[in-house]
Amino acid sequence: MNPATLAKLRDFCRDETAFEQLKQVLAQEVQPLRQEIDRVQFQADQQKALFQVITRLREPSELESIFQATAIEVRQLLGADRVAMFRFYPDTGWNDGEFVSEDVDPAFASAMVAKIHDHCFGDQFAIHYQQGRIQAVADIYTAGLSDCHIQVLSQFQVRSNLIVPLLLGKKLWGLLCIHQCSAPRQWQSIEIDFVTQIANHLGIAIQQAELLADLRAEIAERQQAEDRVQNLNQGLRQAIKDLSAVNQELETFSYSVSHDLRAPLRSIDGFSQALLEDYGNELDASGQDFLCRIRAATQRMGQLIDDLLTLSRVTRTDINLAPVDLSRLATRICNDLQQVQPERLVEFTIQPGLSVLGDAHLLQVVLENLLSNAWKFTSKHPTARIELGTIIPQHGVSSYFVRDDGAGFDLSYTDKLFGPFQRLHGATDFPGNGIGLATVQRIVHRHGGRVWAEGAVEAGATFYFTLEEEEAGA
Amino acid sequence: MNVSESTKTILLVEDNPDDEALTIRALQRHCIGNQIVVAHDGVEALDYLFGTGTYAGRDLSCQPTVVLLDLKLPRLDGLGVLRRLRADERTKLLPIVVLTTSSEEQDMLNSYSLGCNSYIRKPVDFIQFSEAIRQLGMYWLLMNEPPPL
Repeated sequence: MNPATLAKLRDFCRDETAFEQLKQVLAQEVQPLRQEIDRVQFQADQQKALFQVITRLREPSELESIFQATAIEVRQLLGADRVAMFRFYPDTGWNDGEFVSEDVDPAFASAMVAKIHDHCFGDQFAIHYQQGRIQAVADIYTAGLSDCHIQVLSQFQVRSNLIVPLLLGKKLWGLLCIHQCSAPRQWQSIEIDFVTQIANHLGIAIQQAELLADLRAEIAERQQAEDRVQNLNQGLRQAIKDLSAVNQELETFSYSVSHDLRAPLRSIDGFSQALLEDYGNELDASGQDFLCRIRAATQRMGQLIDDLLTLSRVTRTDINLAPVDLSRLATRICNDLQQVQPERLVEFTIQPGLSVLGDAHLLQVVLENLLSNAWKFTSKHPTARIELGTIIPQHGVSSYFVRDDGAGFDLSYTDKLFGPFQRLHGATDFPGNGIGLATVQRIVHRHGGRVWAEGAVEAGATFYFTLEEEEAGA
Repeated sequence: MNVSESTKTILLVEDNPDDEALTIRALQRHCIGNQIVVAHDGVEALDYLFGTGTYAGRDLSCQPTVVLLDLKLPRLDGLGVLRRLRADERTKLLPIVVLTTSSEEQDMLNSYSLGCNSYIRKPVDFIQFSEAIRQLGMYWLLMNEPPPL
């Protein structure tokens, strides 16, 4: 009471004794009022602190900064020596963890640096905290705590503590720890209630932060996936660029093969012929024979260059897919073959109506090669049979075949058949330069199909091909 | 048929001396080799036809009956020559036969697009080549009616 009020009261009293008695009566009345005022004041501060914590939770802040600000406010309000958030490492059975945030009186050590292993906690306490247990210890040395627990706490100079679980729904995420280091402390129920409320709100903040982290992780993952797709696309674009550069080179190369390699051949052939014409009578028969051989070789090389160009063109040209009548194409080619050598007795059997989807020009090249091969390799026989047909589809894909009953080939060389310049017969037996089947194979591959052969020496040959991709695993 | 008395000329645009010799030989064997003018690259061909450069002052009333044009030439290539000739009033109707080693589709397409009158691929076999030259000479010098220039 202030001195002025006391002076007034003194005047009402008879003597000092009465005044003392009055003072005592008044003091007894005033004390609970004081306490009430303090309590209300604390409540008001608490409400303010709670309000601030809640307001902060609504803002999109990092968990770390929410923890930090909350620790400062709570410590200030409670006059505690340390307020810290402890987090358990997931999947360690609540035995391991660390302090992730802290506000501590500078007179005491920070708990942040220490990793904590407390095997008795996971075994004995976690389950209780998970159920919402709050631990308020006035003095750790008289509360009957286990030795290992005391050891862990004394590590941080803790004398008295108030521990409230930080729950993520039903999962124990961590602990909100209020430490008094300087002296024991009796925790008031109003303080415990306050800390519990703070812990509840922090639980919500943690949940939000985890959701946000999940969301961010997902966004990052999507971004990464997108980046991967973009990298892949970039790679593809580069590959296409490289490929078209290679194609361009090939184009240039083919052009120069077509133009520059043929020119000298014409000179060799032309001047050999000029020699024969102008100086033929000065050469004996073998001299003339040599010149004829030079000319023959030159023309063979010319043919070879042309065939190589056809082969390379097959790879370079664009494919235009359209329905193609293989039967009609084959009939026309067979008629042409017969017309060139009308004396030959060859029976053509062409299955009618073989319609396929492919490039008409390239498929003509395929049939020309296969049919003229059949024509060529039956030429040593007095009569022959050449057949075009289809076999029952396998794996949903039709196979077509060209069969003859001619010279055939040794099956053990079948892998050599389709390589360029590979020949299984001598040039004197059957002329050719080994480009035809390589060309056939390339065209078939460009249609997504495959080509293979069956045959035996002097028992004919059959060449099969498909014109579409077979299903995976087929 | 003998056209040696004819005043008609052929302009052969060819940079390869062997091809030049063989073409002239083939023309001469068929008695159509007397009036051959050879230009060794595209610029020389244009100089001849337009009376410029080394051919400055040439009488332009005497133009060749047909031009045998190779495609791959130094300085200005055959397609460039073709483009210049077709763009010029004086030579836009001049018969031009592309005579080349190339059988590339693109070359044929470009040559015809730029207005060549014929496209012939030189065969390796000289006998075939010679026959082609004979037919070509006969056709353009004797059978074909040239455009009124």
